[in-house]
Amino acid sequence: MNLSRRLFLKKGAIALASAGTMPLWGPLFLRGTVFGAEAVRAENGRKTLICIFQRGAVDGLSMVVPFGDRNYYDYRKEIAIAPPGTASGAEGCLDLDGYFGLHPALAPFLPLYKAGHLAVVHACGSPNATRSHFDAQDFMESGVAGDKTVQTGWLNRTLLQCPEDRASPFRAVAMSPVIPRTLQGDQEVLAIPDLRHFGIAGGAEILQGASTANGFEGMYESAVGDVLHGAGKESFEAIAMLKGIDATHYTPANGASYPPGPFGRSLMQIAQLIKANVGLEAAFAEPDGWDTHANQGGASGQLAGRLGDFSAAIAALYQDLGDRMEDVVILTMSEFGRAARQNGNHGTDHGHATCFFALGGTIRGGRVLGSWPGLAPEQLYENRDLALTTDFRDIFAEIAQKHLGARKLAGIFPNHPIDPAGYRGLI
Amino acid sequence: MTGHFASRGTRAALLLACAILLPRGVAADQAPPDKEKIVHVLNRLGFGPRPGDVEAVGRMGLDAYIQQQLHPETIDDSAVDKALASFDTLKMDSSDLMADYYAEIRRFIEKQKASGNGAELKARYGIDTGKPEAAAAAAVQPAMPGPAKPGPAGPGMLQTLQELPSRISLRALGELQTAKIVRAVESKRQLEEVLVDFWSNHFNIDVKKGPDRVLKVIDDRETIRPHVFGRFRDLLGASAQSPAMLVYLDNAENTAPRKVGPIEQWIRAKYVEHLTGVDAMPAQMTPKMEGGLNENYGREILELHSLGVDGGYTQQDVQEVGRCFTGWGYNRLTGKFRFDSRQHDNGEKKVLGQVIPANGGQADGEKVLDLIASSPATAGHIAEKLCRRLVADDPPPALVKRVSAVFQDTDGDLRKVVEAIISSPEFYSSAHAKIKSPFEFAVSAVRAAGGHVTEPNASAKIRETLEGAATIGYGAEFVSGFKRHSLNWSIHEMGEPLFAFQAPTGYPEDSRRWVSAGALIARLNFALALTGGKVADASIDTAKLVGGVDIDHPAEVLDRVLANLLHGDASASTRDVLMKRVIAAQQGQSATVNVPQLVALVLGSPEFQRR
Repeated sequence: MNLSRRLFLKKGAIALASAGTMPLWGPLFLRGTVFGAEAVRAENGRKTLICIFQRGAVDGLSMVVPFGDRNYYDYRKEIAIAPPGTASGAEGCLDLDGYFGLHPALAPFLPLYKAGHLAVVHACGSPNATRSHFDAQDFMESGVAGDKTVQTGWLNRTLLQCPEDRASPFRAVAMSPVIPRTLQGDQEVLAIPDLRHFGIAGGAEILQGASTANGFEGMYESAVGDVLHGAGKESFEAIAMLKGIDATHYTPANGASYPPGPFGRSLMQIAQLIKANVGLEAAFAEPDGWDTHANQGGASGQLAGRLGDFSAAIAALYQDLGDRMEDVVILTMSEFGRAARQNGNHGTDHGHATCFFALGGTIRGGRVLGSWPGLAPEQLYENRDLALTTDFRDIFAEIAQKHLGARKLAGIFPNHPIDPAGYRGLI
Repeated sequence: MTGHFASRGTRAALLLACAILLPRGVAADQAPPDKEKIVHVLNRLGFGPRPGDVEAVGRMGLDAYIQQQLHPETIDDSAVDKALASFDTLKMDSSDLMADYYAEIRRFIEKQKASGNGAELKARYGIDTGKPEAAAAAAVQPAMPGPAKPGPAGPGMLQTLQELPSRISLRALGELQTAKIVRAVESKRQLEEVLVDFWSNHFNIDVKKGPDRVLKVIDDRETIRPHVFGRFRDLLGASAQSPAMLVYLDNAENTAPRKVGPIEQWIRAKYVEHLTGVDAMPAQMTPKMEGGLNENYGREILELHSLGVDGGYTQQDVQEVGRCFTGWGYNRLTGKFRFDSRQHDNGEKKVLGQVIPANGGQADGEKVLDLIASSPATAGHIAEKLCRRLVADDPPPALVKRVSAVFQDTDGDLRKVVEAIISSPEFYSSAHAKIKSPFEFAVSAVRAAGGHVTEPNASAKIRETLEGAATIGYGAEFVSGFKRHSLNWSIHEMGEPLFAFQAPTGYPEDSRRWVSAGALIARLNFALALTGGKVADASIDTAKLVGGVDIDHPAEVLDRVLANLLHGDASASTRDVLMKRVIAAQQGQSATVNVPQLVALVLGSPEFQRR
């Protein structure tokens, strides 16, 4: 895979765009960035960012419990999680700093927090007032809260700013059947629901031939200007590169054990790709099932079950990657949080701010970052939700800049001026 | 709109002449425009032509064909009814389906109790058999049982597998998914199936949620199918009362707060115990306040089902709509809609500027449905979505506007709305504009190759049951490990588990979202499996696609396959690539390209991904 071929593809894309045959992504200033001359070289070599999007609006107040805030217990008589070390026998949260505690189902995170590699950012999210999952996810993934004309994703724009020294079809991989909005854009992305099935079954004869101009690959190569063309090209390059990876027989290192199920498998496959040195810089996974409108449960129950799977998989990934975590950041996010008060069904309705996690060798962890707005009625957003004190774009920008080496942040977050002095100090 | 011909005879003669006169290997653009239109209609208003369909529609006349499709009751579809005769769960009454659903739960709870897994129950489902109140609350959303764990196939395993189809609530889901595929492949009422797919997606329900895996059977049969050519208000109203929807968007739990006395608590505890086997008797039965507003349905009915996210409603409207729908629930024994006036918030409400007076009872919800069904915002939203499905991912605004006007002028007559779309110039100039979803791709591949869904036998019923369980999260790895997958599981692995999209937005209507490297690989593999006889319930005979052509003349073989599968849509570049391949094979320069592989290549071509 040589550089000139990749440049041809990029130039080809540009040429087609100006001929008007490709969909033109977004307003002019963004296109200026995409096709602009001043792309910035990544400073730090090949780093990897793994974004984990908890779709459905996860209840931040349950993940990291503000047990020091009395209002929390007033609002959630049936589903609150008890403070740490409660004598009554109810399972309490795990103390982090005397005010906040981890949900007991997130126990695998506690050693990572204590080792200083896991940071919590509470009261974080999008300032946009929407409580629509669809809209809020769109905004958080495009990185442009409130502007529906932007069709690309913040992470795709970030990658475009950091040119690769060695091009790779695996630069950006989403462990999903469909490319998520976060990664939509001109940087080519692979959407791989399951690495084990990523290859043409019994296809050796079909693909065989003197040149790549035969069979499937040839047809897609020739489908110039077609949205299928890019997908086809990426597929076959990626399959060729994957020949060295046996995705069905993989033993995690360091005794790590991924929980069964699709999320555990997604993270395990991300680990495989990282270790295979295929040039992975951005990975994306999207566990769902966080929309707990009814019977959310407290220390145990519906949400606890999801959190157990969530933390076990992430902790396994951390363990499996071992020393490689120096070059990896895992960032969790969700489109909004949930209301401070429980509803009529022992669940919670849509809220506002929620809780993000950042995990990695270079993360300055062991702290709950952001400023806590409090849960008193007058402190709530619209008298119902945890208020926002950290804009998600500041978190994304800090990671994009300090971890991936992006510098033109205005191109990534166009209508939100980024002030590095305002960073939370995650890295 | 369509071409004018003097008579059917003239048209037929012209088609025949063109077929004879077309030199071998000539590219598509010399086919008569009438044929292109027919192919476009069959691809867009159905799941693609079967061999012989293009000619048959040509003989009948395109206008006549479309009118027939708009009135499916005029089409004899007895072949499909026969094909679905063994799908008995789909005809069951909701009470029987619910009975089996709860039987599964009881079985699971018993097993857990017997193995002393009280702690596991508590951890996973919040059911603490030592704490009856928690049990009662959790049992409202009953726990998911699992089928036998896969392991080494011993006699115990075999017996378990044979018993599986008796677990109605698992088999029902597998049958529902398979029946959808059978109808799309075999039914003559193609447009109806396209619209059923659209409206099922619009009123998305995720079968993974609680009893929805059986209730969706009822929703498909009684809510969606009867209304796709009727009035939108009737479809919306049926959905609002559908127990599957009441569960999915939590409206069954949406109640006015009220005081519940000891007798009612006792009755309820007995009811829960009867249904689930969990001892739900509270230690103390003093009167207490219960219930409260759940705005999930109130939001989604406005945002997704009717007005659209920019439809001009406020957070206040969401809550007021929620209040109107309090008391709209269902009876867990019968599985049928039931309005419980005790749970209804009888106060005055204000929705979208309209005051709804107090003490309206069930009429409050009906008024909301009337209001939103007749709103211009709804007309625009539905028009846009239908145009996106039937015309293009970026539907032309002028068309959307005209269709929205038709919606309003006809009081939401969905047949007239669809007719307005498919008779528009924009429709006819949108050939190949859409990418097929995995479902559309798989079904159209079977149809194009002249294939059929095979009649299910006993082992197919076992497989359907396993697929039902796997869809809701039990044993997916086991099913994925089978050497031959069914059409249903192939579609699952291509990224579209049927009836199992988690979020209320449904699968994306913007078909570009289906394009990605992983998705493409899965499609190519499916094409290879299909033509290689490795799809468990699809039977195709690829030899028929080259009937009569000398197999030693690769160019003729290729052109015949391209003509039969792509009907003139093959691009010059695709033909060139494949021609090089077959010639190289013939000259011994690469592995022999046999007919099944050639068919697979064409089914995997960029052209075939489009509709």
